[in-house]
Amino acid sequence: MKPLTSGIIKEALEQGRFVLLETEAKDICMEYGIPTTKQRIAKSTIGALEISQDVGFPVVLKIVSPDIIHKTEIGGVMLDVKNAKEVREAFAKILDNVRKRKPEARIVGVMVQETAPKSTEVIVGAFIDPNFGPTIMFGLGGIYVEMLEDIVYRVAPITKKEAEDMVREIKAYQILSGYRGRKADINAIIDILLKISELVINCPEIREIDLNPIMVYEKGAKTVDARIILSK
Amino acid sequence: MSNRRAQKGRKELPVQGPKSLEPFFDPCAVAVIGVSNDPTKIGSIIFGNFLRPGFRGNVYPVNPKHKRVLGKKCYTSVKEIHGSVDLAVIAVPAQAVIQVVKDCVEKGVKGVIIISGGFKETGPEGAEREEELKEIVAESNIRIIGPNCLGVYNSTSMVDTFFLPEEKAGRPKIGSISFVSQSGAFALSTMDWMAYQGVGISKCISYGNGCDVNEVDLIRYLADDPATKVIVIYVEGITDGRKFMEESRKTIVKKPILIVKAGKTKKGSVAALSHTGTLAGSDKIYEAAFKQSGVIRAEGFQDLFDMAKTLSLQPPAPGNRILIVTNGGGAGVMIVDACEVCSLEVPELPSHVQRKLKEQFPPHFSTKNPIDLTGDAYDLGFGIALDEACLRYDGVDGVIICLLPQVPKLTIKVANIIADASFKSRKPIVACCMGGEFTANVSGEIEKRGVPIFPTPERAVDAMWALVKYGENLKKGNKR
Repeated sequence: MKPLTSGIIKEALEQGRFVLLETEAKDICMEYGIPTTKQRIAKSTIGALEISQDVGFPVVLKIVSPDIIHKTEIGGVMLDVKNAKEVREAFAKILDNVRKRKPEARIVGVMVQETAPKSTEVIVGAFIDPNFGPTIMFGLGGIYVEMLEDIVYRVAPITKKEAEDMVREIKAYQILSGYRGRKADINAIIDILLKISELVINCPEIREIDLNPIMVYEKGAKTVDARIILSK
Repeated sequence: MSNRRAQKGRKELPVQGPKSLEPFFDPCAVAVIGVSNDPTKIGSIIFGNFLRPGFRGNVYPVNPKHKRVLGKKCYTSVKEIHGSVDLAVIAVPAQAVIQVVKDCVEKGVKGVIIISGGFKETGPEGAEREEELKEIVAESNIRIIGPNCLGVYNSTSMVDTFFLPEEKAGRPKIGSISFVSQSGAFALSTMDWMAYQGVGISKCISYGNGCDVNEVDLIRYLADDPATKVIVIYVEGITDGRKFMEESRKTIVKKPILIVKAGKTKKGSVAALSHTGTLAGSDKIYEAAFKQSGVIRAEGFQDLFDMAKTLSLQPPAPGNRILIVTNGGGAGVMIVDACEVCSLEVPELPSHVQRKLKEQFPPHFSTKNPIDLTGDAYDLGFGIALDEACLRYDGVDGVIICLLPQVPKLTIKVANIIADASFKSRKPIVACCMGGEFTANVSGEIEKRGVPIFPTPERAVDAMWALVKYGENLKKGNKR
C-alpha cells in the first residue's frame, strides 16, 4: 500500500470513521495517479480566498464533515462561485446552513475546489462482491447508469485488455468513441480503471469506491467527486 | 517416465486434491446405505444399478432392519463389511445421515454420496446438519458429494447413483462430454434427453448443495480426465468465485468449459436461493467473471447442448472468417445474417479461388461467399467447394454448410464427401440441413461421421460461434 493512502485509512479507522472525507478520498486517488480536480480545505474565509486564487475561479465550495454525507441536501455545497466577494458570501452561507440544519455535525472546514468544465460524464466504481471479491464497475453518467442500467463489471484485478473491453462493452460506447464531432479520451478512462483495480487490490480495507462523476475530455479526465467507504 | 511422474504426482497431491475424487468415478467396492425390499425405494434402485453387468466392482447393501434384501446378504452397518469400501451411497432420512457418515469415516470409506435431502435447502435446522457434515470432512480424509443430489453417472465404469428407473430415464452412451450440475432435475432430464438424442456422455455429476465437493473441485478433476473433452456446467450460484475463475482459466487451455447459469433475472435468483440455498448474486458480475476466465456461457438448454456437441466433435476455429457453402440461396442469406449478429465475418473469396471454382463449376453457380451450388447441386460440388475454398485456401477459419438434400442430383453420398473434407481439415465444419425424412437420414449419416448438424441455420451459426469463441479464449488463455 502507498504511504499517504495507508496513513489516511489508518487514521480514519482509528477515529472510527468508515466514510472517508471527500478530500481524503481524492488524496488517495491522486496518490494512485487518478486525476482529480484541485482542492484544499479552508478553515477560514481568508484561507478560502487564498485557495480560490490558487485553483482559479470559478470555484466550488463544499462542507467537509465526517457527519455529513449528503452535502447538497443541507445546503453544504455552493457551485460556480466567481469572485472574492462571492467566496466570502458562500463560505458564510455554508457554515450558516450547516449550523441551522445539522447543528451537531463536526466541521473540519470548507473545501474549495476548482470547477471542472462540463464534458462527457462517466462513473467508475469498485466494491466487494460476496461471490467474487473486489469488482470494478464502469458506466456513463446520468441516465445511462440510472435508467438504462448500462453498466459493465469486471472482477479485479483487471488487465489492460479487460479495461478496454469494459469501455467498449457499454451500449453507449458510441457517445465516447465519437458522436457529432465530440470525442472522449478513452485511454484516460482505461487508465483510471486500471488504477482503481490496483487500489482495491492493494487496500482490502476498502469496501466501496465511487468516482462519480468523472469528466472526460478530448484529452485527459478529471474526477469531480470521489467517495470511499471502508469495511467495518 | 510416466510411472515416475505418477508417483511424484501422488506425493504432491494433498488428501483433498483431485485424486481423492477418483473413488466417486471408479470404485472397486461400493456400499449402498438405505436399501430395502421395496424396489421403488431410492436406495433399492441405486443398489439395482450397481448390479447391472456394466459395473465390475463389489456392491454391498446396508440396512440395519434387514438380514437379506433383493436376494443378497444385507449389512447392518458399513462397518460390518469385510474388506475395504471406496464409495458409500447414502439414501436414508436426513436425521440418520450424520451417524451413517461417521460410520463411513470409521470404516475408512474414501467417498460418500449423500442423496438425501433435508439440509441447508430446508432452513436453519437443515443448515446446522450440513455444518456438521462440513466438520466431518474437515476432520477426516473423507470426501462428500451432496447432500440433496443425484450423485454420479460414469458411462465407462457404470457407476450410476441416479435413482431413476432406466425404463423411465435413459442413460446416454459413452461419449466425451462431462456434465456437472447443481440441480438434480436438470442433470436427470439432460441425461435422458442425451440418451434419446444419441449424444454420448463421459461423466455426469449432480452435486446438490455441494457441502464439500463443488463445481471447482469437479472442474479440476475433469480438466485432467482423459475421457472428458468438453465440460458442461449448470449452476445457480458459485460459492467461491475467485477459485472458480482460477480453475477455469487453467482448464480452458486443455478443454472448453460451457456454462448455464440460472437465476439470471431478479425473480430467478430468489428462486435459486430456496432451491439449493446458494445466493445467486448479480448476474452481470457472473457474466463478467465468465468472460474473464474464458468460460463460454450458453443462453439455455438447447444452446448448451448444441455447443457441447459441436465442441466435442470439431476443433476450435483459429479466427472468425466463415465460409458458407450452400445449395439454397435463401438459406445462405439467413446464415450471413446470423453470422453478422454473432460478429462472424463472411469475407468474399479472392479472385484466384473464385477462378478455380469457376473452372470446375457450371456458370450459374455463385463463387463469392456464400458459394451457392443452386438447385443443380451435385455431391461432388460440395467436395470441390470445400477443397478449393477451405482446404487449399487459408483465408477462412471455419465452414458452415447448408445442405438441402431434396434437389434431384444430391444423394446420400454427399455425407461421405462432407465428412472426408472435415477429416482432412484442421478448421471446423458445421452443417445445417432442413427438411423431412430423407433429410433426417442424410443428417444422421453426416453427424455419424463427426460433422455436427442442425435443423436451422441459426443454430448452426451459434455452434460455429462457440468454436470461434473457444479459439479466441484459447489464444487469450495461452497468453496469460
